[in-house]
Amino acid sequence: MEKEKNGFAFYAHIYKKILIQDLKSKMSYRADFIISTIGMLFTNVAGFITFWLIFQNFPQISGWTYHEMLFLYGFSMLALTPVQCFFDNNWNLSRAIHSGDFIKYCFRPINLFFYYMSEVFDIKGLGQFAFGIGTLAYSWNKLGLPLSFRNIAGLIIGVLSASLFMIALMNFASALHFWIVGATSVMILIFKFKDYARYPITIFNKFFQFVFSFIIPIGFMTYYPSLFILHQERISILTYLTPVFGIVFVYLSYLFWMKGARQYSGTGS
Amino acid sequence: MEPIIQMSHIDKTFKVLKRREGIKGSILDLFSREHTLLQAVNDVSLDIMPGEMVGYLGPNGAGKSTTIKMMTGVLEPTKGDILVNGRVPYENRTKNAQDIGVVFGQRTQLWWALPVIESFKILKDIYRIPDRVYKDNLEYYDELVGAGQLYHKAVREMSLGQRTLCDILAAFLHNPKVVFMDEPTIGLDVSMKSKIRTLVSNLNQSKGTTVILTTHDMGDVDALCKRIVIIDKGTVIYDNEIEHLRKYFGAYRTVKFKFKANRKDTKGMVAHEADEIRALLAYKFPEAETLQVTQEEQWVQLLINEEEARMMDVIHSVMEQKEIVDMNLQEISTEKVIQKIYEGGVL
Ligand SMILES: Nc1ncnc2c1ncn2[C@@H]1O[C@H](COP(=O)(O)OP(=O)(O)O)[C@@H](O)[C@H]1O
Ligand SMILES: [Mg+2]
Repeated sequence: MEKEKNGFAFYAHIYKKILIQDLKSKMSYRADFIISTIGMLFTNVAGFITFWLIFQNFPQISGWTYHEMLFLYGFSMLALTPVQCFFDNNWNLSRAIHSGDFIKYCFRPINLFFYYMSEVFDIKGLGQFAFGIGTLAYSWNKLGLPLSFRNIAGLIIGVLSASLFMIALMNFASALHFWIVGATSVMILIFKFKDYARYPITIFNKFFQFVFSFIIPIGFMTYYPSLFILHQERISILTYLTPVFGIVFVYLSYLFWMKGARQYSGTGS
Repeated sequence: MEPIIQMSHIDKTFKVLKRREGIKGSILDLFSREHTLLQAVNDVSLDIMPGEMVGYLGPNGAGKSTTIKMMTGVLEPTKGDILVNGRVPYENRTKNAQDIGVVFGQRTQLWWALPVIESFKILKDIYRIPDRVYKDNLEYYDELVGAGQLYHKAVREMSLGQRTLCDILAAFLHNPKVVFMDEPTIGLDVSMKSKIRTLVSNLNQSKGTTVILTTHDMGDVDALCKRIVIIDKGTVIYDNEIEHLRKYFGAYRTVKFKFKANRKDTKGMVAHEADEIRALLAYKFPEAETLQVTQEEQWVQLLINEEEARMMDVIHSVMEQKEIVDMNLQEISTEKVIQKIYEGGVL
């Protein structure tokens, strides 16, 4: 049974293998595992408290009710899970480049980007996923949204497409390390933008609506795709374009990252 | 036979950014960048035949790693032609990677958190190593260096020596045609070095793998390589058999001992011990006429000509007679040899 080297099955198999081993070894360092789980719980709970406090003072924000906002919150948590789980190694790129360790990724006969990202699976993302599902289910119920095939399919496609935007942004930001020193601050800045993703972009002024749609496209991380379920009457063309834009954007970020990696020449040693 | 590696007139020039000072400087850097050119490799031509073990030597910053990076396809030469296994490495990096193995000393390529055997299993899939080959190699490794004991240990819990050993084993796992080793023995103790020399020499012979090795320890190349290439400031200054160089690092070895103290007066004692050792060795190795025993502060130092007496035999004789608390085997640095070459005017 000869597997095609560039084939999806080949890479899925390798990823699965690395992932299983990685999880096994993480479990064996139990203290580490427990502490990071607790940390993840606190971060999420703190996020909720802030959110709840805001709504103690404003029953509505620009016409959005508490439960609608909660829906967006849950949606954005789901959409941010893939970047957290599968692309977390972007955060280590700076260290790998400056220590010269990045070179080791260049010696394997497999795709460099894949190999680099496969090294880290951040299990904390799964906790976020669980919180997201819970929040979404609660608000879904409170809003009395129908559990139709249309809505479920819309949710799955919407979350998957929305997740591509944060992945792409983080790839772009981390790839800057290949050219400039101190790109970490850019990464942190971009990563902060994700917190705005959970608000409907209509609460921002026209200028920021434009920026968040076409410059730093966080509108696609929650707002546009969730309109499909939440406010059918407001669905915009951008809602339908979310998957297309997402795929194009991720692909561009991949090309940019690879271009950087290829011109990386290593530190002299 | 065709060479497996062909480099002709290879240059590599790095553009190094000139950074200006201070905040104002870094803002200026954003708009206009000034570069200086640094020529790391200068007109290097090399043909390496299949199965050869070549010692690639040179002082720090000579361009050794840069050359290896070009041969592995990580860097593109600025000028010149290069073929490895009949391919241009830079244009076929992933294809080239299938046929080569790489070891960078002190930089493991194994998965840090995983037991070695799990890393090997992942490599088996990545390189698509047939079951038979994989199994045979693991058995052979165990036979050669008792690798079986290490297989279930996580890489992060290993000593530098164990890690290097496993990295070398990993580099040979898919039976590559060429293995590049960049300073694999750096920071290792004498016994680990000797273990690694045995391993590499066996692997090269049994598999016919071509090996390119850089090191600062003349002992490594003496044990492994017939051919030596020396590069200095990016230019090849020597490419010939190691035999022609032997007079520059010769057969002399220096070894130092510290013995267990049984008297208070240490100063007089070391001198006394040196006398004892001198007498002992004169008796055991009568033909070793140039053997010198001297006192070096707290140490007793021996200068041995290996053509007269084998160093290991001498050490054994000393060990039988006295209790050793510390021992130090001085390596001959490649830098010293290169310096002598310049002085001796071989070039
Ligand atoms: N990525 C790089 N950028 C700029 N200069 C480099 C780079 N890599 C190596 N050099 C320079 O090139 C020269 C040769 O380096 P290298 O090949 O690492 O030497 P060696 O391995 O022989 O010690 C050195 O002067 C080094 O500073
Ligand atoms: Mg080097």
